[in-house]
Amino acid sequence: MGPLIPQGFVNPDLNLFFAFVIGLGFGYVLEQAGFSSSRKLAGVFYGYDFVVLRVFFTAATTAMTGLLLFNYIGWIDYSMLYINPMFVWSAIIGGVIMGLGFILGGFCPGTSLTAAVIGKIDAMFFIGGMFIGIFIFGQFYDTFEAIYLGNNLGGIFVYESLGMSREWFAMILILVALLAFVITQKIEDSVNDTPRVLREARPSHMMPAMLMILAGFVLLILPSQPRSNWKETGADKILAEMASKQHFTCPDEIAFSIMQGDKYPVLLVDVRDPTEFERFTLPGAINIPLAEILQRKWETVFENPDLKIALFSFSDTHAEEAWLIARRAGYENIKVLEGGLNNFLYSVFIEEVVPERQRPDCLELHTVRFRENAKNYFQSGQAIKMEDKSPVPVIKVVEIEMPASGGC
Amino acid sequence: METKPKPYMNPYLAGFLLGLVLLAAFFVTGRGLGASGAAKSVVIQTVATASPEYAAEHPFYAEYFREGPGPMKNWLVYLTLGVLAGAFFSGSMAGRLGFKVEKGPKISSGTRLIFATLGGLLFGLGAQFGRGCTSGAALTGMTILSTAGFVTMMAIFGSGYVFAYFFRKLWLK
Repeated sequence: MGPLIPQGFVNPDLNLFFAFVIGLGFGYVLEQAGFSSSRKLAGVFYGYDFVVLRVFFTAATTAMTGLLLFNYIGWIDYSMLYINPMFVWSAIIGGVIMGLGFILGGFCPGTSLTAAVIGKIDAMFFIGGMFIGIFIFGQFYDTFEAIYLGNNLGGIFVYESLGMSREWFAMILILVALLAFVITQKIEDSVNDTPRVLREARPSHMMPAMLMILAGFVLLILPSQPRSNWKETGADKILAEMASKQHFTCPDEIAFSIMQGDKYPVLLVDVRDPTEFERFTLPGAINIPLAEILQRKWETVFENPDLKIALFSFSDTHAEEAWLIARRAGYENIKVLEGGLNNFLYSVFIEEVVPERQRPDCLELHTVRFRENAKNYFQSGQAIKMEDKSPVPVIKVVEIEMPASGGC
Repeated sequence: METKPKPYMNPYLAGFLLGLVLLAAFFVTGRGLGASGAAKSVVIQTVATASPEYAAEHPFYAEYFREGPGPMKNWLVYLTLGVLAGAFFSGSMAGRLGFKVEKGPKISSGTRLIFATLGGLLFGLGAQFGRGCTSGAALTGMTILSTAGFVTMMAIFGSGYVFAYFFRKLWLK
């Protein structure tokens, strides 16, 4: 199911609409929490107001728990989520600079937006400063590049770095958060000299705290292996199929299926780029670019028991790659058009078909006759009518522009 | 504003709701939230408008023009537009609209604005190194349990606590 956009479920026009709606919630909650006030934000560093820590930790633990549970139920495929890569020095230096910026400016980027829009002039200046800072980075990019791109450990998980299981780490993080809530409340009260009456009048947070611990336990009890929802085909099986060339289908078969029209259940899948597909393709073919083979929106196509699927590209290289990926993911009933488009066009349009032997047998005569028929059929232009028989709308997916080197 | 502004939301409730927003963002995009990416888009678009040749040559700016609809038609830009609208709605409901410079009692408005600009400058610079800011790198990174998220978070707040002492005059009574 999720994440929707990487799986190709969202049409690009809706994509930006989603962004706006999620932004609405983001901005609303930040402002409600008091993040539009620089003095409130700065409180976390001086002990008079720990709202930042409370909101931050609660949000992170809530979303973390939600993601792990969603992954377990199968609503989100955790393996498809983006893990921000660890460029050791760049991350540390960036964090230290941002920490100083936090103290001097009293905002961070998200909070400054919420403050500026309700009229805080200091926040508008902060945003102006941000533009300058980004511009400086751009101007001196050559100087910074070595640090920026150095020591890349890739998208690693913190529990791996610490050598523990994901669920145990989640549990510990929840407990640390709760402990931090209790301690910071005490610090805040002593810094502000909160009167005893007010301290005792506070509502108890026992219930939500217990719920968080319970959620942590639930994560621990659930089987820890993330469930991949692919029923993978064994590598040995795939190798055997390839070695015996069972995965190929010949141009004759494809020509036959095209000539039969819808009466013959072969679905031609063009795995080339959309631009090439637009230029020309086989009659009735649908386009699933190689990079999209595993997107869930094509599941209905690949798992349709009434369809045989034939993958093709210019030759058979890319189609074979697509076949490997699809077979590995457990899809059955898939073949590769041997020799690809080039071979098909050659054998249908160009190749002169004559019996090889002096006295051909019936089988060979059949083949020769079939090919003559096919040639007539294709050359007379009967097949040039491009009927769109795609069983699903072909949605072009726009990747979200958030490169690893991008902003936040 | 004549009326007294409404009190802020309970921070734990706000955190829980923010967690749900984050979860929704992951469910839709697989990438969480971000707040400084849009500022980067604005800078890149500005540079490209001022000098297209320069932007096309430059490694930092060029990557946004190689393909796709350019830096402004981007997920984070629309997210930020939503943030502005959502915050405005929240602030107006609570009676918190109004132009003012918020500062510690010991400094003048001018000083506050200078330091706000400086802070923004450092945040803009730091967010490039950190590949995201407090929301995009630290909060989102912690949610997905990435090492980078935790390291960036600790670096931001650790350095904040170290520098807090030296700049206490900005904020304390």
